[in-house]
Amino acid sequence: MFRPVADWLAATPLSKTLSDQLWVVPMSQSIHILAVSAVFASALMINLRLLGVGVSGRSISQLSQTLLPWMWRGLVVLLLTGIVQTLAEPVRQFVTPAFWAKMTLIIIVTAMTALFARAVRRNARLWDAGSSRPPQAKIFAVVSTLIWLAIIVCGRFIAYTWSMYA
Amino acid sequence: MNIQALLKTIEASPVAAALRGELPGTEWLFPIVETLHVMALTLVVGSIAMMDLRLLGVASRTSPVSRLSDEVLPWTWTAWCLAAVFGTLMFMSKAHSYAANLQFQLKFACMGLAALNMLVFHFGAFRQVERWDLEEPPQSAKVAGALSLLLWICVVFFGRWVGFTVTT
Repeated sequence: MFRPVADWLAATPLSKTLSDQLWVVPMSQSIHILAVSAVFASALMINLRLLGVGVSGRSISQLSQTLLPWMWRGLVVLLLTGIVQTLAEPVRQFVTPAFWAKMTLIIIVTAMTALFARAVRRNARLWDAGSSRPPQAKIFAVVSTLIWLAIIVCGRFIAYTWSMYA
Repeated sequence: MNIQALLKTIEASPVAAALRGELPGTEWLFPIVETLHVMALTLVVGSIAMMDLRLLGVASRTSPVSRLSDEVLPWTWTAWCLAAVFGTLMFMSKAHSYAANLQFQLKFACMGLAALNMLVFHFGAFRQVERWDLEEPPQSAKVAGALSLLLWICVVFFGRWVGFTVTT
């Protein structure tokens, strides 16, 4: 059902311009990976701290204050470069379930992270002391780490699965 | 044994054949190994960037450099080792094509320079880190941070371009 949209998009002058320039997609993908580095490394650092593994020098609120802004900036870059790649190769993206699974997981994990950010901002003291930290903190850490890993798997597998559906 | 013969021997190994998907049930091995390589390399680059941005005075300014280094670098090294293992497996699949690929060579040149930069920093400005742990880092530390960031960005760019340019 997304195929007609993809075909229409692929026929637009913008899409043709982007895909004709052979450097656009590799360049965009490289920037995409750099942004994944910022987001994934920051997320893992926060999650390990929540699980009590490593990074013990800073409190949850300090760590969140430092790393969450980089995650949001990274996510904006991911969105922009993702749009470039989708405009350049709409069929490759839209036909594979890996792409739609990735988009769904990104919405879920972004919402989870926003909720986490809000909770820590509202009550830093509660989150900073291990004894009073909500029990959901560890669940958030484990689940969001697994979702980030799944997003990377889906992202890489778009390249390997799309031709099976096109 | 010369290099070309060694590369051919690597390519002829069963591990290399499995990574090319030539053995039964190994069709998805290369994509899986590549995905694991991506996971590990993003952690390498992300964690090194935290250190570099601290040295440049851009981020984590309230954390002492020595503590950040103790907290972050063990994860960097662990992730680097994983990336190296998965990268070596990918290399084995088409050893002589990768070895002859310009982008692959440039990627490793950048990693070599990044290693050199790290050693210069480690045996230079970092030896007196307690003097500037919470201060503005000295000029040489800023240069080390900027070079490291730049070189690792180049490693990612050339690494991604290998995938577009390597031939069979």
